[in-house]
Amino acid sequence: MWDGSGEPDPEIQRLEVLLKKFRHDRPTPMFPEIVGPRRWTFFLWRMGLFPVLAATATAVVAIAALTILVHRWKPASTTVAGWDVSSVEGTPRIGPMAIRGKDGMTRLGVGQSLETDNQSRASLQADEIGQIEVEPSTRLRLLTMSAGLKQIALDRGTIHTYIWATPGQFVVDTPSAVTVDLGCAYTLQVDDSGAGLVRTSLGWVGFKLNGHESFIPAGAACATRPQVGPGTPYFEDASLKFRAALARFDFEDSTPQQRAGDLGIVLDEARKRDALTLWHLVARVDESQRGLIYDHLTKLAPAPTGITREGILRLDQPMLDRWWNDLGFDDISVWRHWERSWSGAATPVRE
Amino acid sequence: MASRSVDRVDLLAAGLGRRPVREQSAPEVSEDAMFVSAARSGDRAAFGRLYDRYARMVHGVLLAKVPVSEVDDLVQDVFLLALRRLSTLREVGSFGAWLAAITRNLANDYHRRSVPEDQRADDASEDDIEHASISADHSSPAAAILDAIRALPDTYRETLILRLVEGMTGPEIAARTGLTHGSVRVTLHRGMQQLRAKLSLNPSSNRPEQERP
Repeated sequence: MWDGSGEPDPEIQRLEVLLKKFRHDRPTPMFPEIVGPRRWTFFLWRMGLFPVLAATATAVVAIAALTILVHRWKPASTTVAGWDVSSVEGTPRIGPMAIRGKDGMTRLGVGQSLETDNQSRASLQADEIGQIEVEPSTRLRLLTMSAGLKQIALDRGTIHTYIWATPGQFVVDTPSAVTVDLGCAYTLQVDDSGAGLVRTSLGWVGFKLNGHESFIPAGAACATRPQVGPGTPYFEDASLKFRAALARFDFEDSTPQQRAGDLGIVLDEARKRDALTLWHLVARVDESQRGLIYDHLTKLAPAPTGITREGILRLDQPMLDRWWNDLGFDDISVWRHWERSWSGAATPVRE
Repeated sequence: MASRSVDRVDLLAAGLGRRPVREQSAPEVSEDAMFVSAARSGDRAAFGRLYDRYARMVHGVLLAKVPVSEVDDLVQDVFLLALRRLSTLREVGSFGAWLAAITRNLANDYHRRSVPEDQRADDASEDDIEHASISADHSSPAAAILDAIRALPDTYRETLILRLVEGMTGPEIAARTGLTHGSVRVTLHRGMQQLRAKLSLNPSSNRPEQERP
């Protein structure tokens, strides 16, 4: 669907064949002669009109500048900024106000909250940002809706987001993580304890905390916990043993022996595509364990040329980045680019 | 941008498409700039090259909004209007986005002209577009599919038509309209999901981009 590469989808091919009759197929027309501005200037000089018109133009520009200045001193427009909200099922509420019926639509403004009960669902849309589908038993609030930042808070429940906003504009705040979206599709869940789960369905999502990075490609997930932040990303089709051991490793307050045991289970259960998880674990363990992870990782996804064991054990960033790119989850320079531009705007701290 | 509270940790996170920025390649942007500059100096052939490059995009955007029978004439109108206003284009590298905006405005003007004055809204509503006749042959499968695409929300309609009707790839759509790769990718993905549901097609399977419940 994206660029025609890979295995063709027969349904899409069929649609393309059927719809081809509506395609543009006209030849390039003959356009009229284009008269450039110089000819007018020359013509006006000849007529002796240019000095008069120049003075007139100057006056027009001065009036326009004055108009702009006056306009800027006027109070800002009172148009309410927000998301269009419609009911998909049941009766979602904005504050005390119920949104009824499939045709019911209203606006969620800054400071307002949208809540669905266990039988209702809602859809939010803002043309220049994206679309959010809100599942039952969900509560979210609109925090900011400024020109450069659109921020919501997900207090509990599940949302599916499809974002096409300018990168860095859309932010979701949860009890255990803040996500800054640069254009992808993902599902975000928060339970009553504040624990969260991010599942990416398109593109990939990145988190960073205190030097630890988590990248979640399509098909993968990452849990988050209050006070801890994001865990290690994993593919959801990994074995239950793998996922359980990883969850304990990430979030339980275990002894060093227990952590070593859980790490061993993860390494033993890892498949080729679980190189995603092992790549992340390299930077999350003591130096004494790093060699073990390197040895397992290189069996699943051999290190590309130029990567050395010593370099990885000392967490050489360029080497780690090249190995990431070699795993086939897309170019990490994308993240590095936005990380640099985003770091200038925020000062994340752990409190 | 990050929140601050005792119970929260602040993270930097980003959703990423394949590449971060508008994806018209540097040689393409400089070629457009060259054609625009030449056209401004009176070179009709240069403007013809811009037509060759952008006509499909203009045609697709119009096909998403106005009756099929009107599209070809309106394509001509768009380019004639762009030709007249070429001197007002401030950033020559944004020719595609500028042309797309002219196209959408012309489509809205078309609907305003065809709606009685006392019933006009600011922009062509989805109802206006749905009630506009699609094609002479409403019974053909192709017309039915085009109707289904045109019944989708505006955001998906345009991108899907550029992809499925005009045969443009995702990167081409991004380059010609000025949208980011990520934006086009998301709207194609989501739009196709909605179209499949509308047409009761089989959902795609075994693809890494498939949405999970």
